[in-house]
Amino acid sequence: MPGIDECLLEAMRLPGARGAALVDWTSGLALGTVGEAPGGDHEAAAAEAAELARMAAEHGTFTARGEDRPPVEDVIVSNADSYHLLRFVDTSFDSSVFLHLWLGRAEGNLALARIRLGEMAARLVLG
Amino acid sequence: MVRTPPLPVRDTSAPRALSPMLTRLAEERATGVLVREYGALHLVEGRVVYAESPLAPGLDVLLTAHGTLAAAAWQRAAAAAEGPLHAAELLLASGLLPAGALELCHLDALYDAGYFALAPSSTPGRFRYDGAPRTGPLPSVPVVALEHETLRRRLQLHRLWPDPATDTAPLIRADPPPGARAAGPRGSGARCRWPGRATGGAVAAGGAGSRVPARPPGPRAAGRCGARRRSGTCPVCCSAPGRSTRRRTARPDGTAPARPRVTGRRPAGVRPRAAAPRPRRRPAARRRPPGCRGP
Repeated sequence: MPGIDECLLEAMRLPGARGAALVDWTSGLALGTVGEAPGGDHEAAAAEAAELARMAAEHGTFTARGEDRPPVEDVIVSNADSYHLLRFVDTSFDSSVFLHLWLGRAEGNLALARIRLGEMAARLVLG
Repeated sequence: MVRTPPLPVRDTSAPRALSPMLTRLAEERATGVLVREYGALHLVEGRVVYAESPLAPGLDVLLTAHGTLAAAAWQRAAAAAEGPLHAAELLLASGLLPAGALELCHLDALYDAGYFALAPSSTPGRFRYDGAPRTGPLPSVPVVALEHETLRRRLQLHRLWPDPATDTAPLIRADPPPGARAAGPRGSGARCRWPGRATGGAVAAGGAGSRVPARPPGPRAAGRCGARRRSGTCPVCCSAPGRSTRRRTARPDGTAPARPRVTGRRPAGVRPRAAAPRPRRRPAARRRPPGCRGP
């Protein structure tokens, strides 16, 4: 059963991974970081990614229908140089965290990363 | 003429550590428990391994509130172990909890309780040394990191609404707007965490100046508003962000004030000035108080 660090290290094994973090999106606090930080500062990156995650999760426009499913699974941002993949971790306890993976655009495989990150998020809290 | 030297006075203009004693304990890599007015920090070799505060729900509450762990399982572990931290380690060793889930709850509880433990206090802290340092499998946090996060939360609270009275105002459950469904991760119940957790409802009352309740004991509530969360009475949790919601604060005499209508959005491009003493518009209106999510 992986802990936070093992989960982040596993994410870093994905092709093109530059950095990964586990962020509490209510507070913007990075609970764990590994690798490079977008912009060079993990703390600032976590706070800004948390803003984006909060916007997606809190506004009905982006959320799934139905009471018993997570409102949002992923937030994906692409730019000319890289991809950012935010994966919400669905927990049975009170928590509001997401995995943030930063992928180099040339080497990264967004589809693969999305599937793998979802599996990692589930294993993190389910064992 | 005899000139007496000036008496030494504490220089209050210079920035000081949240707890000079804690800074010293971290430097000497002390092991033991620092008991302060609003909470206690457990140190092992100068790092924070556990924090507890009556103002923040503990690890046990987080784990058992929504059935992640059966309450009986926690009680068995707690009876067999010395303190909640060791009980958690027992549960981890027995395979009853996944490491990731336990680490998440542990860190959540630590930062929340740590926030209150480091709140300004009127009494000096006490430190009880423990001669047997032992590091467990759960992550510990450097003192500097906890202090940094505590200051960050204070600042964010201040930005949400600069009047500290709104941080401790009693909250009343809002009437959910017809047909509204709160967006937010599922299964969370009335979760209310982090700056604004306890503050949001009062903040949302909009210009709480004329109906500021008596300040209850305790520091600014920027951690989980545990009681409200557990009882499901947090108004912030019970309304959908981004939608029109109505929230109330109670007056000290028990009467409810007129209910102002707060819209969840502010016009694009309007950014509140954090330093404004009483902004007309709710400063953080476009976001719900962080940490609060719907049932």
